[in-house]
Amino acid sequence: MASAPTEAKDAIRITHLVKRFGDFTAIPDLSLSVPPGAFLVLVGPSGCGKSTLLRMLAGLDDPSGGEIAFMGQTVSSGAGGVVADPKKRNAGLVFQSYALWPHMTVAGNIGWPLKVAGWDRQAREARIDEVLGLLGIAALRDRYPAEISGGQQQRVAIARTLAPKPAILLFDEPLSNLDAKLRIEMRSELMRIHRATGATSVYVTHDQVEAMTMASHVAVMNHGRVEQFGPPRELLARPATTFVATFLGTPPGNLLPAQRRGDWLEHAGVALAPAALAQGRDAVQLFYRAEQIGIGPAAGRPVLKAEFSESAPMAGKVMVTATAGAAGDALRLSAIVDDFPDARPGDAIDLTLSGAPDAVFAMTGERIE
Amino acid sequence: MSLPSTAAPPGRRLFTARRLPALLMILIVGILVVAPLLRIVLATLTPGGLEAWQAVLASPMSPNLWWRPLLNTLILGIGVSAGCLLLGGFTAWLVVMTDVPGRRLLGVMHTLPFMIPSFAAALAWGTLFRNSRMGGSSGFFESNGFLIPDWLAWGIVPVLIVLIAHYYSLAFTIIGAALSSVGADLVEAAQMTGARRPRIFFGIVLPVVTPALVSAGSLTLAGAVANFAAPALLGLPVRMQTLSTRLFGMIEIGQAERGFVLALLLIAVSGVFLFLSDRLVSGRRAFVTVTGKGGRTRRFPLGKWRWPLCALGFGLAGLTTVVPVLVLVASSLAPQTGALFSNWTLHFWLGEGGGQIAQGTAGIFRNPVLIGALVNTLKLGVTVALISMVLGLALAHTITRNKGTVLANVLSQLAFLPLLIPSIAFAAAYIALFGAPLGPLPSLYGTFTLLVMAAAAHNLPYAVQAGRSVLGQIATDLEESARLTGAGPLRRMWAIVFPLAIRGLLAGAILVFVKMVRDLSLVVLLFSATSPVLSMVAYRYAAEGFMQFANAITVLILVICLAASLIAQALQARVQKWKE
Ligand SMILES: Nc1ncnc2c1ncn2[C@@H]1O[C@H](COP(=O)(O)OP(=O)(O)OP(=O)(O)O)[C@@H](O)[C@H]1O
Ligand SMILES: [Mg+2]
Repeated sequence: MASAPTEAKDAIRITHLVKRFGDFTAIPDLSLSVPPGAFLVLVGPSGCGKSTLLRMLAGLDDPSGGEIAFMGQTVSSGAGGVVADPKKRNAGLVFQSYALWPHMTVAGNIGWPLKVAGWDRQAREARIDEVLGLLGIAALRDRYPAEISGGQQQRVAIARTLAPKPAILLFDEPLSNLDAKLRIEMRSELMRIHRATGATSVYVTHDQVEAMTMASHVAVMNHGRVEQFGPPRELLARPATTFVATFLGTPPGNLLPAQRRGDWLEHAGVALAPAALAQGRDAVQLFYRAEQIGIGPAAGRPVLKAEFSESAPMAGKVMVTATAGAAGDALRLSAIVDDFPDARPGDAIDLTLSGAPDAVFAMTGERIE
Repeated sequence: MSLPSTAAPPGRRLFTARRLPALLMILIVGILVVAPLLRIVLATLTPGGLEAWQAVLASPMSPNLWWRPLLNTLILGIGVSAGCLLLGGFTAWLVVMTDVPGRRLLGVMHTLPFMIPSFAAALAWGTLFRNSRMGGSSGFFESNGFLIPDWLAWGIVPVLIVLIAHYYSLAFTIIGAALSSVGADLVEAAQMTGARRPRIFFGIVLPVVTPALVSAGSLTLAGAVANFAAPALLGLPVRMQTLSTRLFGMIEIGQAERGFVLALLLIAVSGVFLFLSDRLVSGRRAFVTVTGKGGRTRRFPLGKWRWPLCALGFGLAGLTTVVPVLVLVASSLAPQTGALFSNWTLHFWLGEGGGQIAQGTAGIFRNPVLIGALVNTLKLGVTVALISMVLGLALAHTITRNKGTVLANVLSQLAFLPLLIPSIAFAAAYIALFGAPLGPLPSLYGTFTLLVMAAAAHNLPYAVQAGRSVLGQIATDLEESARLTGAGPLRRMWAIVFPLAIRGLLAGAILVFVKMVRDLSLVVLLFSATSPVLSMVAYRYAAEGFMQFANAITVLILVICLAASLIAQALQARVQKWKE
């Protein structure tokens, strides 16, 4: 980038970004910024606008409104139409489908962007060897994309994007086509590469484990909005909305709707917490983490009647899933316990809640406590 | 046909009962495909044959017999192939890669010209552009006071135009399929590098579709080289000869050996190009696009070119589909070619003979020769379709049963051989083998049987393909699932296998039927004067200058083909619905 980055300059600053497709508004109004070297992960359910945002960052689509600036320079603007072409952005995009050019060898794929950028032959060859080495695929140099495996194709795609040394790296679900084992391997590989290159990265995924392990910053998106933005630990510790609370964390936390009855907040006739937590509201949602739910009655603690559905081992403990309430709008609850419960699917069990709710949300979703 | 000695290591095992059907199939294919080809080669190695080689290749006659026809054939082949790549490439790009309005309809319309037989297009051309030089009535334009120069009325230029109009839709289909496999991601990945549009086009898009371009080029070239109808109708009147018309002429005048030599040369010419193109796109670079998602294609906005290019696309489609059909229909109704759209009469269809129009000839539905030809055509189409499908199914079954063995390989190679042989040369080979008494067999020349055999053999590749897909369909989970429901084998046969197979087979049979009904180049050598088929009668009428009758018969052929295709489509749709 032309201008020298100062401390104050964000690597990426998005302000009031809007994207419409005809009548449909994919992104109504989105603002966020990350410092140089950040690893920003965009998570959210399918269709929430992650790819749309990434494509605008890449310069493949124009925004309908708002602005995107890289290192203090406006690259996309919905109002003025200032759109720097991909070359001036100095950004690279790794596609979910790899998008390797099938008529070029691995070396050809990596070299073509350099050729377009006007590198001379020697520099090109040297750089090709360098990134091939970085990704550990030097042996594949002269193969065609059809002659290598999916995981290797992914590495080549990353190598191709890294080769011109972009200041900003964009990834659109780069690992979703790989099997679970390879995915974990590539995850740490990507983090190693991020450390090695120091490029600011934006990474789209709907795998929240990926988000939590890789990110320096996470933006949880829903319906084209950023529900919450911050470091992963903060998002886990203090979810700002019910959406974030239930989207993140393994297993997901539990939300219990509760009504005020006198001095208590009740769920299904069971008093759970003091009414003061509701701050004057008549109905709220109480958030309990899986660790706060146990099985079997315990003195002085609220007990919920539930129906056992399944259990699965998880990191030395057992994750138990049960449903509470009538069949129509049954509530799925997850608990983390020490031992496998002595129950079969369909059996009635007692769930015990320990401690105060971890968070209290209004019925509309925002956090109040 | 002798098998390579490595066929089955212990020689005796070749003749076990299990292999018997396979050997029988080899025998049948041997007689139908290999024997005629061997025979035509042998026929040119007799003293008379060697003389023919000399006459054709190295004698004062050879410029007329070989070099000039070769030159014309090559000009046609290369010109048509280039024209088809341009037109087909342009239309494919327009439909697949841009935001041109009406893309769907355009896409359908550009596949139609290939359905219209090339002699229909040639007849339509003649109806519009004939000039009076050859005698007979002049065409629409000249009757209306436009002077049509000879080069536009006859010879290589109109043949080129007609063949390009016919074959470009084949190129369109092939290139279009390739372009739509160039996912948006491939293009966007190139955009991300900062490359400009032309560079992306020449660096990425073009190379990725190159294999498709090569095969489109070679297939249209082979088609043009082998085509008989267009050069015969538009070239022969001015003595423009191609290899196929030359070969037809030689056999017509009884110079069979020279005809055979020309047939072999024609096979060689088209074979060389097919071989070269195969070389070009095979090997490591025979890539398939490896993108996972695909599907989404990047559409380039055309901006202010949207509407002009849309008009161009529709104009082209109209000129190659609507106009020829319209001209043929109108001409079959109009008493004068100069006034295609006035005084319409059904005379050429239904009129009684002896009147003023058409020199007293009766309308086609009152003409016993024609009714006979119609019956013959349908009989030929149905017989060939049935025989081909039975053979195709049997072959496909044998090939899958013996999968991986040398037998199966030999069989499938042989079954696909006719695809490489221009049909008029194939017909010549049949004449070489069956044209004279063969041992106890009488000469089959001019008989319906010979025509059916040759046609069935020439359609074998399609039939085997159809048979394979039918078998594949049955073999997959459908039958398995029926077995799991506990149905017995007979029940399974009746409830699952039969309905599925019958539809697939019918669809394949209809394809063969349509190909037969509109075929000219195979029947033109093998038909018998006493029981002609429709395309042949149309050809003769056209050659004698009775354009309206020729056109009316061609319209009849188009209607039959259209009806059959509609039935096939309905069947296909039902099969599809059924599979869901
Ligand atoms: N070209 C387009 N035209 C119209 N609507 C679009 C277009 N592209 C995306 N959308 C819509 O915008 C919304 C966001 O799409 P986007 O592809 O960004 O989702 P995503 O978060 O990437 O989802 P996924 O996780 O499934 O990839 C979707 O509702 C989608 O239907
Ligand atoms: Mg997406």
